Amino acid sequence: MRALGRWLTEHWIAVGSPLLLLVAWEWASATGLLREAFFPRPSTIAAHLRQLAADGTLWGHTAMTLIRIGWAFALAAVLGVSVGLAMGLWRRLRDGLDPVFAVIYPIPSVLFLPFVSFLVPPGEIALVVTTAVTSFFLIAFTTTQGVRQIDRLVVEAAVHYGARGWRLFATVLIVVVAVEIVAASRGLGALLWLSWQILKIEDMYATFFVIAFLGALLSYGLAAFRARLLPWIQDVAEP
Amino acid sequence: MAVLLPTALLVLWEICSRFAVVPPRYFPPPTTVGWVLVDRVVAGDLGAQSLVTLARLGSAFAIAALPGVLLGLLMGVARPLRDAVEPYIAFIFPVPKITLLPFLLIILGVGEPAFVLTGATSAFFQIVISTLGGVQTMDPRLLEVGRNYGARGARLFWKIILPAALPSIFTGLRLGLGLALVALVAVEFIAAKSGLGHLVYRHWQMLSTPEMYAAFALVGALGLLLTRGLRALQARVLAWQEEVGSL
Repeated sequence: MRALGRWLTEHWIAVGSPLLLLVAWEWASATGLLREAFFPRPSTIAAHLRQLAADGTLWGHTAMTLIRIGWAFALAAVLGVSVGLAMGLWRRLRDGLDPVFAVIYPIPSVLFLPFVSFLVPPGEIALVVTTAVTSFFLIAFTTTQGVRQIDRLVVEAAVHYGARGWRLFATVLIVVVAVEIVAASRGLGALLWLSWQILKIEDMYATFFVIAFLGALLSYGLAAFRARLLPWIQDVAEP
Repeated sequence: MAVLLPTALLVLWEICSRFAVVPPRYFPPPTTVGWVLVDRVVAGDLGAQSLVTLARLGSAFAIAALPGVLLGLLMGVARPLRDAVEPYIAFIFPVPKITLLPFLLIILGVGEPAFVLTGATSAFFQIVISTLGGVQTMDPRLLEVGRNYGARGARLFWKIILPAALPSIFTGLRLGLGLALVALVAVEFIAAKSGLGHLVYRHWQMLSTPEMYAAFALVGALGLLLTRGLRALQARVLAWQEEVGSL
């Protein structure tokens, strides 16, 4: 209790400011200052979130998104680490692939959907592969840097890669939701898009909060995990 | 090797496509794509649509840059403001900005403002975070020296804090511009009826693959030009900064 009090005196602004915003939003929507059709009250959103959770819709979609992230990350990690290790070890390969990577990397991964759809059967597989594309380049790039920095000690390169993995994971999340919006009929991104199309605004806000929560959980959770696993590595700045 | 391997890959693709090892309908030979690219940039929609995308990028960046830098700097020097705003940034930054599009489309209607704002939000948060990081990680000895020589308030800010944060601000602007481009092209692919992203989508739907790959290549070239160009500029303008970062 004492500790909680001390924590609150230290962080009261950080806690108070979102609370104040929520109260102001509730009030503005209730009095009609904001159009409730576009900005539903936070309490209404919470009620809808509860309802989505109760009838199971939310869990199904969340599980779907997490499974896709898992597959995409696994695919990108295996390929990315292999190519990254090879590029780190063989200078010629690195010189050759660098320009290819430089051109492809700034392209948003959604744009790979047409290309991927020519290569693999449409549906779940195309979705996961498209999601994995950008993560693959990031992981390959980071691995290459890792190998070069530690003088070709391959084993340590793997550890080094792990040290940075949490940022990559967050990126996978970004990509998977963007891809889902275009192509899928399930998954959180799809639920968000569907909500927009049929103008169920409350559902849309509720889904947005779940996506934001998942993102925060993944990036901060992995940061904490990394700090525990590799305590000697100085904390890097915000992503 | 930097020339050889990409060329070899393209030649391999060319041969496979010409001899129908891969279906040329889906994977047209690079030379065909190249001709379409040249043809359409000079006298067709490709050049015009690139300008549309670039105009959107310019607006998005203009909207995001100044407020982003200002907010980052203010958060860096005013602790209460940082405490008040940081929860929102921590909450929204990891969210794919493209999920904001439905909200913006509802509030602003389908049109340019919604597209541009989605790109601007992507850039904005990156710029705020980099700027704030620049102020927070500056060498505290600089501050002490400044104070010892009597710099206070505005003087301390203009002479010590701002110059120290400048490299991070520039990095934030550079990353922000890249993120805005990625978000905008994705938005065009999904929702807009113009721009390079939309061209890729349209030619995918029509299965006019040479045009599709040409637009795709142009997106890559644009991104490359922006990121590499700005990095070179940063290295030149901020010559005292050691590591510019490689991505």
